[in-house]
Amino acid sequence: MPRPDRLERVTDLLLVLLDAPRPLSLRQIGDRVPGYPDGHGARRQAFERDKRLLRDEGVPVEVVPIGGEDQLGYRIDPDLYYLPDLGLEPGEQTALNLAVAGVHLAEPSGRAALAKLGAGGELERRDATVPLVDLRGGEGLESLSGLFEASRLRAAVSFGYRGRQRTVDVAGLRFRQGHWYLVAYERDRRKGRTFRVDRIDGPLEVGGAGSAELPSDFDVDEWFTRDPWRFGEGDATDVDVRIDAVEAARVVGELGPSAVVERAEDGSVVVRLPVTDMHALVLWVLDLLDHAEVLGPATARTAVVERLSGLLGSGGGRR
Amino acid sequence: MATGDRLRRLLAMLTWLAQVGEAPIEVVADRFGLTPTSLVAELEMAACCGVPPYSPDQLMEILVTDTTVATRPGVALARPRRLSASEGFALAVSARALLAVDGSDEGGDLSRALDKLDEALGGKAIAVELDAPPMLPVVRWALEGDLPLTITYYSASSDRLGERRIRPRRLFAAQGHWYVDAECSTAGGLRRFRIDRITAAEPAAPGQQDRPRVPDPATAHGAEEERAPEGTGLEVFVPGPESARVRLSVHPSAAWLLESVAAVEPPVTIAGRVEVELFVGGTAWLERLLLRLGRHAVVLDPPEFRILAAEAAARILLRYR
Repeated sequence: MPRPDRLERVTDLLLVLLDAPRPLSLRQIGDRVPGYPDGHGARRQAFERDKRLLRDEGVPVEVVPIGGEDQLGYRIDPDLYYLPDLGLEPGEQTALNLAVAGVHLAEPSGRAALAKLGAGGELERRDATVPLVDLRGGEGLESLSGLFEASRLRAAVSFGYRGRQRTVDVAGLRFRQGHWYLVAYERDRRKGRTFRVDRIDGPLEVGGAGSAELPSDFDVDEWFTRDPWRFGEGDATDVDVRIDAVEAARVVGELGPSAVVERAEDGSVVVRLPVTDMHALVLWVLDLLDHAEVLGPATARTAVVERLSGLLGSGGGRR
Repeated sequence: MATGDRLRRLLAMLTWLAQVGEAPIEVVADRFGLTPTSLVAELEMAACCGVPPYSPDQLMEILVTDTTVATRPGVALARPRRLSASEGFALAVSARALLAVDGSDEGGDLSRALDKLDEALGGKAIAVELDAPPMLPVVRWALEGDLPLTITYYSASSDRLGERRIRPRRLFAAQGHWYVDAECSTAGGLRRFRIDRITAAEPAAPGQQDRPRVPDPATAHGAEEERAPEGTGLEVFVPGPESARVRLSVHPSAAWLLESVAAVEPPVTIAGRVEVELFVGGTAWLERLLLRLGRHAVVLDPPEFRILAAEAAARILLRYR
């Protein structure tokens, strides 16, 4: 007699496939798991639905060719399904729960992760005074988890960036000032480089495990930059910018005190920036409106003047 | 409830229960959002699952009494499961983000948990850095103690410094900056402030001034200092009904610069140009946007904004003459 509850059949199926030392044919599954219809066609249909459900839940159901009239066999490798026990203490579980509750990502997969680790269920009540952190940082959580996976597997990864296809080895993923950055080794240039993750075009192609060739002495900090004026290629020009008292503290907070070459009594500062992308520097300076002025070199001042002069005749509007 | 959802919940319950051993029925039901009756039904069903020949020793070891439920570590389906790439990433990142906030892990539980995760999942390549504006600790202290503050605040949208009296309600980091939603008795309502634009803050004596006054329309809008109704998300700019609007025509090559700007409606392409109507977070805010867009953008409406970019450019150019 078929059992009424499909969950019971699916749970038995999961247990039987995990327990099977060898792949099981559909006929063997029908013999071992109660609740499947007798007719071959109906049984096949019911099993395919259950298999899809398990896969949708992330269960790695393998399909392998076997001999005999059934041709295909099914099993779940326990090593691919289970994780070695992490041994999380209750306090550590609670801390992870609070972290997942307090951090916003593009999808709530942190909760799914906790459920799989045995720390699931209703999240601990957040204390309203604990800050929330939003790490969405533009597009691209998909790229981020792909890059994370590539780093775990030590796999090379390819993607489009600024109109060119790049193949890199992942060295680090960093969130700073509202954006996610990839620090990676570019093999063809034999150099490190920082990429904005939200500017990566299209899907990633992750190579085989172990295909990365990251030099053993690669230093992530050395190649990491979030300053847009350092995203160009070629030699850097040092540009001095005066920041007035209104914006000085905030800008120095962002750039770090080592950028400051002069502090005036009126509260203004002069910062020195290594620039490889002059256009990006000009945009940054103009974002500060009247609170910043490029002091030199002359090429940098000219770049600002040209940008602004180009706008003087604007504003007539159309229509 | 769909079978997939029930399976996910059953596995989550079993994995959790295996960690704690035995737990009262009400506690488990509450934690996983079931009634006690349906929890017992679900676990009794699972206790009948197993592998052939389905003799008692081949069934799942789940014990259901009148008051408690129990299982033990190592039982099939109650063991921790492997995480997908996005799950592992989400967990590693969430833990790191909270650790980046000073004072959020005083007992060390979170960093110990993260060490164990890294061991199993390999998250060492990830780093999360949050900025630490100087006034963050005092704002947090006021939030925790429910105390009012007097702050000096630079409003980037109006390009003006002013003094405000606020009572912090919620603290969050978004798009790389820290914000506080606070009752502002100066503006008369809940407002959102960017903490790195607070240049000074000191405790204010609680008193009659603490009561919100009637809203002053002149201070009622701005990009960082915007109405922040309770329960909204973490949007950095929340347009109010009184926000001014501007209609721009933008060359397609520069349209990506508008992605993070609050638009009235999605942009439309007309005769090869992108037209979009935006909420304006203040004159200085619009100047910044137009200088950034440069010659790629033209203001269509309102007419008084058409010369804004040229005026701002001329004003800043004076420094370079």
